[in-house]
Amino acid sequence: MDQPNHMTAIELDGLRKEYADVVALDGVDLTVEEGEVFGFLGPNGAGKSTTINILLDFIRPTAGSATVLGHDVREESEAIRERIGVLPEGYDVYERLTGREHMEFTIESKGTDDDPEELLERVGVADAIDRRAGGYSKGMKQRLVLAMALVGEPDLLILDEPTTGLDPNGAREMRQIIREESERGATIFFSSHILSQVDAVCDTVGILQSGQLIAKDSVEGLRDAQGDMTLVVTVEDTDGITAAVDSVRELPAVSGVQRDGDRVTVSCESGAKMSVLNAFEDNGVAVADFETQEASLEELFSTYTEQEVEA
Amino acid sequence: MSTEDGGLAGLDRTLRNTFGWYTVSKKEFRDAIRSKGLWLLGTVFTLLFSLPVIISLYFQDWESLNNAQTQAIRENGMQALLSSTYTEVVTVLVPIIAIFVGYAAISKERSSGSLKILLSLPHSRRDVLIGKVIGRSAVLTVPFLASLAITAVILVASRLTFKPELFGLFVLFSVLYAMVFVAITVSISGVFDRTSWAGAASFIVYFYSTFVWNLSVNSIGQLLQNRLGVEGAIRWHLVLLLKLANPNQAYKTLTNSMLNTGDTPQLAARLSMFGRGANRQVVCTDVLNGAWETQTVQFLGQAQQISTCSGGGTPVPFYYSDPVVAVFMVAWIGIAATLSYYTFAIADL
Repeated sequence: MDQPNHMTAIELDGLRKEYADVVALDGVDLTVEEGEVFGFLGPNGAGKSTTINILLDFIRPTAGSATVLGHDVREESEAIRERIGVLPEGYDVYERLTGREHMEFTIESKGTDDDPEELLERVGVADAIDRRAGGYSKGMKQRLVLAMALVGEPDLLILDEPTTGLDPNGAREMRQIIREESERGATIFFSSHILSQVDAVCDTVGILQSGQLIAKDSVEGLRDAQGDMTLVVTVEDTDGITAAVDSVRELPAVSGVQRDGDRVTVSCESGAKMSVLNAFEDNGVAVADFETQEASLEELFSTYTEQEVEA
Repeated sequence: MSTEDGGLAGLDRTLRNTFGWYTVSKKEFRDAIRSKGLWLLGTVFTLLFSLPVIISLYFQDWESLNNAQTQAIRENGMQALLSSTYTEVVTVLVPIIAIFVGYAAISKERSSGSLKILLSLPHSRRDVLIGKVIGRSAVLTVPFLASLAITAVILVASRLTFKPELFGLFVLFSVLYAMVFVAITVSISGVFDRTSWAGAASFIVYFYSTFVWNLSVNSIGQLLQNRLGVEGAIRWHLVLLLKLANPNQAYKTLTNSMLNTGDTPQLAARLSMFGRGANRQVVCTDVLNGAWETQTVQFLGQAQQISTCSGGGTPVPFYYSDPVVAVFMVAWIGIAATLSYYTFAIADL
């Protein structure tokens, strides 16, 4: 290994995890720079949590290596966990302990001098500070564990599906906290399968699909790479549409096609609109209506994963 | 946070800075001590512990006894009660409470996911295991000590002579025995990710140790002789060592030795681990360094031979002495935790 690079928050090198009957991670290489807000995206079962569990030394890779803040995840896990804050996936709180006791336990474990009340205030559950966490709602538990992750101003926050269990308002507050932590200088690494909530906060996005990293770029870069626009075409009659979709897909300027009944969503370069529409007409399918829009990350994501399935 | 204001806060801080497991054990104690089931069990335990004393001491017909008998009961009643009834109650009941306290300690955190919170913090898996053994031991010790204290009060109020130093030793060994079983169950809990399996495995260990081990050791001794021709002193050495390896037997023989007021308590306690099927003469002389004396006495007009084992001028061998037996017993804490650690440390969570 090289000298640990202090500008790198997370580095995965050929990371592979096999279980008895499935390959959860299939050689993932990834670098997350310090100070970045990194969105780790992919459908359920893509391997996001497996990756995070390896970073935390909950599970051990079959092959490859991973470092966090310059420390090897296997050899120096405690040193890593001194400096990070974690919102794990599939966690549970201690039912008989109060919110305050959860915070005190975390503060004592990390050896910091944070104020439990202040942190719970920040995540919005200060009212319930002296109630047992077993009586908290799913969203309150999520906020409590987020507050625990914020203890000690960690250099890196690892948040696994942070908006799960939160209402839209809660999700917005979560994004606000991510922004604040980023401004403080922390690196944020979070996973999500709810993409519409991601592009607003991420600097960089990585897309994981079936254990492989199929894309990594800035949000803008991904859009560029994917073509500048999305064309939604509504056809008059679905006769012959399969052949039409196939020939649209074969156009060099088209990066992804999705069909839903009489609506076909096409990701393509901005100059390719006419050739897409012509491809429909050439196959005898009349276009009733079409509209263009800039690709949202959600659509980028589905075109990506769609391609992967078809490949 | 508090500065160096001494007292409890200062001690808390010192412990936290010295021992990696301390914070985990404190969390563990706070969490588990609030279990209602634990206090229910503690109450049942207190009742089972104090009822025999109350019944036998307050309702017994003392009037029909003569002075000498009354005197003897007064003088030695506490030891008799402790070494017979109480060691049995402790060996049968304490492990059950220990299992209740410990069986879910790690496996439940694993299946529910709270272990992910615990291990996201800078705790090593070793600190988690040690912290859980210590925290859960403390959890069991609190209701256990409470019920022993109530028992002590009842004893003091009874007509028996209360001997605090003997009672104190009994409490000490009983608490150690309880800790051994907490350590074993917590360790078993670290091996399983299903709480029900951890509970079942702990119960099997308890059942084997309490009801089966001793019998099977006697059978092993028999087999050694019949099949392998291991005879005489070697056979009985092996049998005694195997008996002492059982925490249940180690605890019983330790309390027996401690409560025995004779000249050679250790010898008597070890010898009493052997039943009628054993060659007690060989055990006495060749295994325990005792002297075997056979006297002929006249009993109801017939000559009868009575054999006794007394200290033969040399103490029991070092490796059968009380301190070593205590080490035997406490060693299970380390053995169980070590085996568990090497399973837990490599497990994918």
